[in-house]
Amino acid sequence: MQVYKAFFKVIQKNRAQILIYLVVFMALALILSGAYNPPQDTDFTKVKVNIAFINDDGDSQLVAGLKTYLGENANLVAIPDETQKLQDALFFRQVEYILRVPAGFTEDMLNGKEVQLEKTTVPDSTSNIYMDLLINKYLNTVKTYTTYLPGLSQDDLSQNLEKDLAEQSKVTMISNGTHSIYAEKSGYYFNYLSYSLFAILILGVCSVMLVFNDTDLKRRNLCSPIRSANMNMQMVLGNLSFAILTWLVLISASFIMYGSFMFTATGLLLLLNSFVFTLAVLSISYLIGNLVKSRGAMSAIANVFALGTSFISGVFVPQELLGANVLTIASFTPTYWYVKANNEITAAVSFNTGNLSSIFTSMVLVLAFGVAVLGVTLVLIKQRRVES
Amino acid sequence: MVINVKNLVKRYGNLIALDHFNLEVQEGEILGLLGPNGSGKTTAINCILSLLKYDKGTIEIYDQPMSPEAYAIKRNIGVVMQNVAVFNELTVYENIDYFCGLYVSDKQTRKKLVAEAIDFVGLNDFKKFYPKKLSGGLLRRLNIACGIAHKPKLIILDEPTVAVDPQSRNNILEGIMELNRQGATIIYTSHYMEEVEQICSRIAIMDKGKIIAMGTNEDLKKMIKSGEHINLELLNPEEMELSEIKSLPHVISAELTDHQLVVKSSRGKNNLIMILDHLKDQNIGIGKIYSEPPTLNDVFLEITGKELRD
Repeated sequence: MQVYKAFFKVIQKNRAQILIYLVVFMALALILSGAYNPPQDTDFTKVKVNIAFINDDGDSQLVAGLKTYLGENANLVAIPDETQKLQDALFFRQVEYILRVPAGFTEDMLNGKEVQLEKTTVPDSTSNIYMDLLINKYLNTVKTYTTYLPGLSQDDLSQNLEKDLAEQSKVTMISNGTHSIYAEKSGYYFNYLSYSLFAILILGVCSVMLVFNDTDLKRRNLCSPIRSANMNMQMVLGNLSFAILTWLVLISASFIMYGSFMFTATGLLLLLNSFVFTLAVLSISYLIGNLVKSRGAMSAIANVFALGTSFISGVFVPQELLGANVLTIASFTPTYWYVKANNEITAAVSFNTGNLSSIFTSMVLVLAFGVAVLGVTLVLIKQRRVES
Repeated sequence: MVINVKNLVKRYGNLIALDHFNLEVQEGEILGLLGPNGSGKTTAINCILSLLKYDKGTIEIYDQPMSPEAYAIKRNIGVVMQNVAVFNELTVYENIDYFCGLYVSDKQTRKKLVAEAIDFVGLNDFKKFYPKKLSGGLLRRLNIACGIAHKPKLIILDEPTVAVDPQSRNNILEGIMELNRQGATIIYTSHYMEEVEQICSRIAIMDKGKIIAMGTNEDLKKMIKSGEHINLELLNPEEMELSEIKSLPHVISAELTDHQLVVKSSRGKNNLIMILDHLKDQNIGIGKIYSEPPTLNDVFLEITGKELRD
């Protein structure tokens, strides 16, 4: 395992540069994700609208039914039927909706004629729409009965209306989880992690590849009785070990910050996603390592690549705020899919086939990137070997 | 036989780097490959080591065909490249340990071999130094230690003394002779004829991808007409007729530059006395006199018509 050992000695010699990136990036990621405060959830309270109900039709079971139905869903406020007082009530928001039942309403309804209720509302208020929906629901139900059961007595009609309108749809909560306060914070941390991972792996892998790809050393190694396949295997092992070590160091901070949250489904998915991304980044770093010829180029590429992909893929600026064209370009980088999966993982309160399939699709795409780039690198290496 | 190369041809496009190159190396000898830059020495070595593909010919090492996959053969070969091939990120000790470890897997044995190699090249005080901190001479010694630490039976040294100061060069040459005394067969390429003359038991002179002469130092010098170079410092050269010197017996050529007369003569007895008698008869005063035997450069010059150092 001479090559494997030499791999880590080279890494160790470059540890200062790598550690600077590691410490600075981890500190920044910790500060930025720590400073983020997700919006607090508010409890839902049902609020009833204040309305005034004025009846010009006279007492009928149909009108009484309407009043009772509205009374169940709104607060009926008694206002004298005087224009000035009604206008004042609206102006001072004593009521937000005034409904006037016109004369002949009951008869027209029972005879299936068009009926128009009068309403006075506060302009552009949501309560207006809400009340319209309630009233339309009542009237439409009456119309259904009068159309299809024309001989129905007012008594029966009222009973049927009361029964029908009392019907409520059953709502089942599909979600059974709670959204942890760490979910979004950890999402930010894992998004930032992509930048440091890219920079560190490019620097580490390239610094080793620069050494081992040196023509004289390569030729000297070829003179030895170690098989090329064996040497390559040791090199692959070295790269993998370095990548996994870097990943472990970077994720260790998430365990310190978020503790047991990292063992929940969300935490584990974030870890899995970051591991898959590590493999893709390793593959890209290996390609860059086989392309660069100098340390200057290595640093430049590490910065440009890590920063560039992070900016366009939504690491620093949320993907929702990026333009469609930028996102289209970003979709050709694994960082985009990694961040997308991270966002989906942290946004989900619970996991089902729908959101999991989207998350795993992103992970598979990241992995596919890695495999494709590795394929290109191997072809490149083979091509060079043939040329030399 | 340690190495047997037959009819090796290597082309780089239209350029023929090795032109039906033949070489036989016997066990226990130090064979010097001497030739000017571009004569094909390094190409020949690279082909022998299977670092280069060749167009034609066969190479056998220890009676086995050499190939990139001939790992059993490679185990017996030590290589010291023309360019220093060490890791700048590893210390002197770690470098030697790395290269030795490619041949010897046992840790204890390796530790002993590395210590011996460090001792052999005299780098005991620099074990923890990184190569960048070493002088050119020490770096060359490290390069040699990396090549010989595993105690190979065959050592190939490709111009190991390029850009090395005279003191370090002497140390390196003495070390190579010591390796040979310990039983290693050595191939030594150089364009420094003095080194090759000093350490090699047999010399092959190369030009244009071919071996143009081969034999011991004495054998090679016997191949040429030139016997000795007689150098004389003349006090009154204006009174001398150069043509008369040239007409003397055994004189091949005579050149007068300023006060310096250089006469090349073929093998014959009393050449110097004859010249001195002639100059005395002409009343020409003489300052310093010295005579040199022919060099390998003379051999090369006579065979190819050009200087070895061209």
